[in-house]
Amino acid sequence: MEGLVSGLIVLGDPYLLMLLVVATLGGVVIGALPGLNATTGAALLLPFTLTMDPVPAIAILTAIYCSATFAGAITAILINTPGTAASATTCLDGYPLAQRGEAGRALGMAVVASTFGGIFSVICLMLAAPLLARAAYNFSPPEYFALTLFGLSMLASIGDGSPLKNLIAGGFGIFFALVGVDNLTTVERFTFGSYELYDGISFVPVLIGLFGISELLVQASNLHVQREAVSMKAIKLPSMADYRKTWRAILRSSGIGTFIGILPAEGATVASMIGYNEARRWSKTPQEFGKGAIEGVAGSEAANNSATGGAMVPTLALGIPGSATAAVILAGLMVHGLRPGPTMFTEQAEFAYAIFWSMMLVNVLFFAVGLSGAKLFAHVARIPVQVLWPCVFVFSIVGAYALDQSMFDVWVALVSGVLGFFMRRYGFSVVPLAIGLILGGMLEQRLGQSMVMLNEQWWLMFTRPLTLLFFVLTALALFGPSLWRVAKRQRHPMMSSGE
Amino acid sequence: MMSEKSASRGQFERWLIPVLILAFCIAAFYVSTTFKKMPPILKRGIQPSDFPQLLLAAITLMTLAMLWVDPIRIRDRLQGTVWGTLALFAGFAALTAVDLFLALGVFALALTVLWGERRPVILWLVGLVVPLAVFFLFDQVFEIRFPRGLLTNLWYG
Repeated sequence: MEGLVSGLIVLGDPYLLMLLVVATLGGVVIGALPGLNATTGAALLLPFTLTMDPVPAIAILTAIYCSATFAGAITAILINTPGTAASATTCLDGYPLAQRGEAGRALGMAVVASTFGGIFSVICLMLAAPLLARAAYNFSPPEYFALTLFGLSMLASIGDGSPLKNLIAGGFGIFFALVGVDNLTTVERFTFGSYELYDGISFVPVLIGLFGISELLVQASNLHVQREAVSMKAIKLPSMADYRKTWRAILRSSGIGTFIGILPAEGATVASMIGYNEARRWSKTPQEFGKGAIEGVAGSEAANNSATGGAMVPTLALGIPGSATAAVILAGLMVHGLRPGPTMFTEQAEFAYAIFWSMMLVNVLFFAVGLSGAKLFAHVARIPVQVLWPCVFVFSIVGAYALDQSMFDVWVALVSGVLGFFMRRYGFSVVPLAIGLILGGMLEQRLGQSMVMLNEQWWLMFTRPLTLLFFVLTALALFGPSLWRVAKRQRHPMMSSGE
Repeated sequence: MMSEKSASRGQFERWLIPVLILAFCIAAFYVSTTFKKMPPILKRGIQPSDFPQLLLAAITLMTLAMLWVDPIRIRDRLQGTVWGTLALFAGFAALTAVDLFLALGVFALALTVLWGERRPVILWLVGLVVPLAVFFLFDQVFEIRFPRGLLTNLWYG
């Protein structure tokens, strides 16, 4: 309770408030630009926050996260191009609504549903994160090892790659985290005598490369794509009839989004898909979905924004990112010398609650920004890629250099960018690589500590109930979908044979 | 329909990527065998090579499984602009030896032209104004010292 109040007092700082307003506006611009999303935006802005105190630095990153996730709806509705992947389902009904002259209504609903979902999830975050942290307070290294392994196993279903390829990418992320001096034994590994590799590969330049520079190369392949814009007179708040029609979908999707967000590695994209599908399943008029159903916009937007708060729960309470953007925020926390985990709510309670309150404020801010400036931000989406992406490159390179003022980091960012592009081309998502890189060192450290604790009898891990539970969950996350498919095929052999 | 040539290239890439991954894993595994072994009192649970080897074995198994369960599929060939952009990356890397900001300006300008922009105002904006603005933002606001070079020496003296 004390932390709750002191966190709110921190937010009273005019400098912090000004930064939050600017970051919210910046986040909306980032989210409205096709190709840029919350993760890329946070990765590009991370170096800018290095000279700041931890509260404003992390508050900026979370502001970008929340507002960019919302802003993806602007381009989804007006130009049928989701600004972020999480808004892809918003296109399905938002654009048909815009085509029949109801763009203002669709955007109004997107703003209201996003704001509600965002605030709902922050309240859940405020309640759940300290509870989860308290539960995790007594975890020993074996429990932490099993939990981190479970978090990594969830990478299988993240991003746009296939499960197996995601796991391979995650494996490489963990591998790259092992480069440098081993923290446990001080033995050099994979440094090849290079002084720059002695401290390992910094994850900030890798994140900039994977999310910023690789997207530049993706854009180079999409130069021919034409976008048709639908005009909008003014944004409208939903009518009472719209509220009556959508409140259940908004509430349901907010709950779904928050829950999906809390699951390690699952983010707003999965949440919006499930939120949209559930809105259709429970609707009295499911046949209207895909043709301009306002419930579709509400379901998708409430779910993707509520996933932001949900994703911060495991990030802050356990140190395991709830989404790709949360992974960048986790990197930001580490760069600022903060250690996310159960102790955050006892030793740095003021910081944790200041972040919660700033997220709450950002959700209110983008409600105001969305209502007053959506038309303006829709124009931002028309900035030519020929202008936007060279500028993104300049920011990426200077940002990568700024971290340690090292040209080596520039090369790391460039190589990561090219690697990320080819990974995406061959069906591997870059998100697992980034999360593996962030969590890899922790995973090995906890395995080592567990082995010391258990006198090198690793099988004793299976005798600990919580560790066993996390191992079972890991096995389910890895093999559950395949077993489910096999079981389904055996139940309906005709369907699987295509007859 | 995919031509015969693109189909054979697709087959080639289907095998090339797993082979590259496996070669990397074998090489990394070999390197890991050269790590110093710690005496039992100092090894802190696991030897420095244990975890990397376990991980590389897992990646190898998953890659072998990928070959049959989920092979690489190529939908389209790389466009000229992508190759051009990659070539510009190489040019940027080479030009940083002269000056980082010169390299950034030239890269931004060349990329804008490569991607089809011809308006002089835009070219000036992207090639000169943006790199300069970023330089002064980081130099003055964030107090970042950039590597010395042909142009940055004019500012640093």
